[in-house]
Amino acid sequence: MSKRQLAMVMDLNKCIGCQTCTVACKTQWTNRNGREYMYWNNVETYPGTGYPKNWMELGGGFDAAGDLQPGVIPNLEADYGVPWDYNYDALQGGASFEPNVEPTWGPNWDEDEGAGVFPQDNYFFYLPRICNHCTNPGCLSACPRDAIFKREQDGVVLVDLDRCQGYRYCIAGCPYKKIYFNPKISKSEKCILCFPRIEQGLPPACAQQCVGRIRFVGFLDDEEGQVHKLVNKYKVAIGLRTDYGTQPNVYYVPPTESPAKFDANGKIIEGSTRLPIEELEKLFGPEVHGAIATLKAEMKKRKETGESELMDILIAYQHSDMFRLDNNYYQQVAKESGQHLLAPVDNRYVTGKHTKAGHVMKFFHGGDVKAGGHH
Amino acid sequence: MKKLTSTLVALATLATAVAADSAIDARKVTTSLDKVSNTSSVWNGAKFSTVTLYPQTTIEFNDKKANEINAENKAVKAQVAAVYNSAKIAFLIKWPDGTKNVQQGNRTDSYADGFAVQFASNYANPAELPYIGMGSEGRQALIHLQKQVVKFYEPNGNGDVATQVNPNQTELFGKDLKVFNAKVDTLASLDYEKSYVGEGFRSMTEIKDGSSNSQSTMTYGKNAWTGTLSRSLKDTYVDLNAAAIPVAFAVWDGEKMGRNGLKYLTAWTAVVFQKGDNTLVNALHGKIEGDATKGKESAIANGCTGCHQMEKTDAASLMGPSLTNIGGYATVDYLRESLVKPSAVVVPGYNRNAHSNYAWYNIENGKRVSTMPDHSWMEKADIDNIIAYLKTLKAEVK
Repeated sequence: MSKRQLAMVMDLNKCIGCQTCTVACKTQWTNRNGREYMYWNNVETYPGTGYPKNWMELGGGFDAAGDLQPGVIPNLEADYGVPWDYNYDALQGGASFEPNVEPTWGPNWDEDEGAGVFPQDNYFFYLPRICNHCTNPGCLSACPRDAIFKREQDGVVLVDLDRCQGYRYCIAGCPYKKIYFNPKISKSEKCILCFPRIEQGLPPACAQQCVGRIRFVGFLDDEEGQVHKLVNKYKVAIGLRTDYGTQPNVYYVPPTESPAKFDANGKIIEGSTRLPIEELEKLFGPEVHGAIATLKAEMKKRKETGESELMDILIAYQHSDMFRLDNNYYQQVAKESGQHLLAPVDNRYVTGKHTKAGHVMKFFHGGDVKAGGHH
Repeated sequence: MKKLTSTLVALATLATAVAADSAIDARKVTTSLDKVSNTSSVWNGAKFSTVTLYPQTTIEFNDKKANEINAENKAVKAQVAAVYNSAKIAFLIKWPDGTKNVQQGNRTDSYADGFAVQFASNYANPAELPYIGMGSEGRQALIHLQKQVVKFYEPNGNGDVATQVNPNQTELFGKDLKVFNAKVDTLASLDYEKSYVGEGFRSMTEIKDGSSNSQSTMTYGKNAWTGTLSRSLKDTYVDLNAAAIPVAFAVWDGEKMGRNGLKYLTAWTAVVFQKGDNTLVNALHGKIEGDATKGKESAIANGCTGCHQMEKTDAASLMGPSLTNIGGYATVDYLRESLVKPSAVVVPGYNRNAHSNYAWYNIENGKRVSTMPDHSWMEKADIDNIIAYLKTLKAEVK
């Protein structure tokens, strides 16, 4: 267990499934170098197969006695999906626009399908997922090389790429399948909670870019922080599949409102709700009842009195309140450990940022090619 | 090609002629061993010995599919030869493998065939060699590993910034894009050859500073791999200038999702340079005293099976290491030490995070103390019987 724990809360009532978080993460971290197939952040439709396919049935995590459970390593083509590209080059010769592989599966293959019968009782909601930076990580327990560690200062779970030998037991051990094998470097990689950004007081890219403003980021022990209030004070934010025993540190405000069902004649069935509570129980455990009751009570209170701290938090007025990263804390940690804070973006990838068309891109091949020359 | 054929013929004939698991006689050569492969002429006059590699079953890993396909593994026989000159030693190992598996750069579920040769840093006392799996605390092992990985890119700090982008994000098209892709290609490493030092599972650390140099090859043909390794007789980690040295071999089968502990390995095997001093050979290959039948009775009477899976037919246990193949890869001295001084070597492979309810050891004053009771009170004859029984615990040869 780390000294402090940084956590994220996602309000599922407000997620619109726009994938802006997914794109923010992908462009920052996973669009290159063997990570192309990985989604450190994804948004899946629930109920659905999820990403990777049927991840909840692939084992890992701990049993009630606390023993690590065996798991299965997903297959790239069948379970994750091969990231396909298009024949841009051939288009110049008049070819038709075609993917370079025959896609058979991919993330969100079943997007928006959900469950139930349209239009009577069909339903779904969006479930954004990142690494849970667990207090008792399955990946860490499974590693025979001690290559995975949990940072003391904030509980972020990271892979030491120098120690990692690409054995992939971590993937079997993680019940959320949020650690991935990079076949190009033969090592495992995962969500790093954008720690180089965090150390500069910036929230993770997925949280910063979220248009629905569903993500709150802060330390669990920061009693003034909205994360602490949502998780510990109001207890409306709950970990996903805590029955896996890893003590996840990404918390979800469960979906509380769903439309009523229709009868065979298309008439509204008064008092009915499309979202079965059993599904929410499966994801969030029995605590979901209390969370929903509190949310409804506070909503009512707000309607009647105009007052509710919880509703004010969930409205998410200010990024500055939603992201309490306590910048001075990291500066203090760095000072005490004698280390430098990292730049918010990995500097190795920055070169070219200000490169304009026509600039000589000498780092590509000795400076003999003018970029943009073919446009 | 002619040379290759003659070597293979030599291997085939010798395979049948040599008795099982004797010491390996190293042949002195005057030729250079700087670049050795399976076709090198140094192997023409070499004497081949048979070594048996047993499936490692000490610890069960958490990969469900791999556990299923490895449940019924049999032992593998390999042919080994050693040659040396004044500066270097070279090994050739040939083992059967029905499938050639090369780890691919675009799949998450492909695994590599490979082999490793292990040396002990200190072998002055043959009764206290490093733990066979990966060395042990205070008993360092040096491991040379060669794996079949198609092509890999080490994350580096060399500032190869411009090549670390997706090709579609460059501004390049056509011929320029081809040139760019070729540039990226040159950064890939084709030879997955590494050296490590280890003092027990989870401690293994790659040697990256050039303080240990080796050169190895792997060649596939006729349903078998041939691996060669050449290294200096002396470096920072080991000094092999002696009358005899202990070595151990391991092989991985990518078809069976082999990696790290999912492997086949030999017991410590003596490589003899000069005849005369038989201390190491006797310790590793000597006659086993004791009565295995009486030993089994004694093992049951003393409650060994309470914590250890002994026979393949016994139930698996998380309480202690599985001993189903211990007779294959443990030496008599190691077994004796484990009985009378259980804390002398505590396999650190047990992951306390993974199975928090089953403590193989406790940490007292920074030292691992085994939860297994000390059996030094037993009569020597009784211990010999148990050791004789433990030596019978091993998989059959395929």
